[in-house]
Amino acid sequence: MRRNRLPRSLIVIAAAATSCCGSSPITSARIEQAIEPTFANLVRVQVSWLKMPPMDASEFQVTASCRRQLSGSDAGAGDWVCTLRWQSPDFQTLRDTFDLFVTTDGCYTATAAGESLGGPRLRLSDGTEVRNLLYAFEGCFDTT
Amino acid sequence: MSVRGCVAVVGVEYSKLAAQLKARVALAACVVGPFAFAAAMKAQSSVPEDTLFGRSVKESGFAVPLVVLGFAALWVFPVLASLVGGDVFSAEDRYGTWKTVLTRSRSRSEVFAGKVVTALGFSLLLVSVLALSSVAAGVLLIGSQPLISLSGVLLAPPHALTRVVLAWTTVVLPTCGLTAVAVLLSIATRSSVAGVGLPLIASLLMQLYAFVDGPEVIRQALITSAFGAWHGLLAEPPYYGPLVRGSMVSGVYLAICVLIAYRSLRQRDFAG
Repeated sequence: MRRNRLPRSLIVIAAAATSCCGSSPITSARIEQAIEPTFANLVRVQVSWLKMPPMDASEFQVTASCRRQLSGSDAGAGDWVCTLRWQSPDFQTLRDTFDLFVTTDGCYTATAAGESLGGPRLRLSDGTEVRNLLYAFEGCFDTT
Repeated sequence: MSVRGCVAVVGVEYSKLAAQLKARVALAACVVGPFAFAAAMKAQSSVPEDTLFGRSVKESGFAVPLVVLGFAALWVFPVLASLVGGDVFSAEDRYGTWKTVLTRSRSRSEVFAGKVVTALGFSLLLVSVLALSSVAAGVLLIGSQPLISLSGVLLAPPHALTRVVLAWTTVVLPTCGLTAVAVLLSIATRSSVAGVGLPLIASLLMQLYAFVDGPEVIRQALITSAFGAWHGLLAEPPYYGPLVRGSMVSGVYLAICVLIAYRSLRQRDFAG
């Protein structure tokens, strides 16, 4: 009877580990909550870099909708796709899709899918070049 | 065990360290490394895009210490932590000097405390030098422009500097924890190769786990996760969950390893 004790306790531990901690903290809700203000803040900085009239981050009204690339699970690190709906400085409603790579510690890199937001660099009217902040950006969120 | 006794041991250990080539090389590397990195960034057109703040490295000098911090978490901190921690006890085995050391007027506890303080102190010295040097390299070679935070907010230079210093401060405790792991392995294996090599392998394995999407509770219990806890300080508003957890994990590693190391040194029979 004693010999059975060890495997059984192992099964209990394994079951407890998978039940309490099976779900990953990388969820669509967390990613959406993180990317919405980050994108709005970046648009605000970009607007100032492009020497357009300053705007508040809330004026861009960013809403994100993210889903995981891997079908069959709605949480976890790896590849995600986010669609951002936002209002441009000239008050047009835009939809842009971003490919995200999210790491287990809650940091992500977002890269614009397609060229709707321009290339990696933007040329200003005075001929100087700046980095296109909206082409690729990164951020982190709390996973605890 | 007296404080004076410990201080005397620390004094002896530091004079030994000062004469060692590896200590000097490590210090020099911590001073020169960030400058070489910043100079390379300035000279070349590409940027390290796969590291946090890598894209901003040419735009703001404050991104340089953060890229160095992110990169150092991979293997520089484990090396710095185990360089002295993994050797400070086993060196006495290598040279066969335990009997000489322990027949002096300092007790075994004093020798232990002195050596542990030396190892922790030297790890922290290297981390501080690396931090200062990377801030200096960034500000001097790239400049003190505003930094875009991890939430897309532009941080003014004084604000950015504060965050950078705080971010570097968060690795102090995990570095101490990793040093304690090296001290324990140095005592347990009596070999400097194991004392320096095993903590390095262990931290690389722990970081491999971070790439696997395994149970979160295991990831958070790994000391290497604490090296990334600074991310929250660069967000807007800052979040402290990973920092609190990482500091607790590091404290537990530190306490447990020092305790086991002390017991195993106390119980060791040097007479044979």
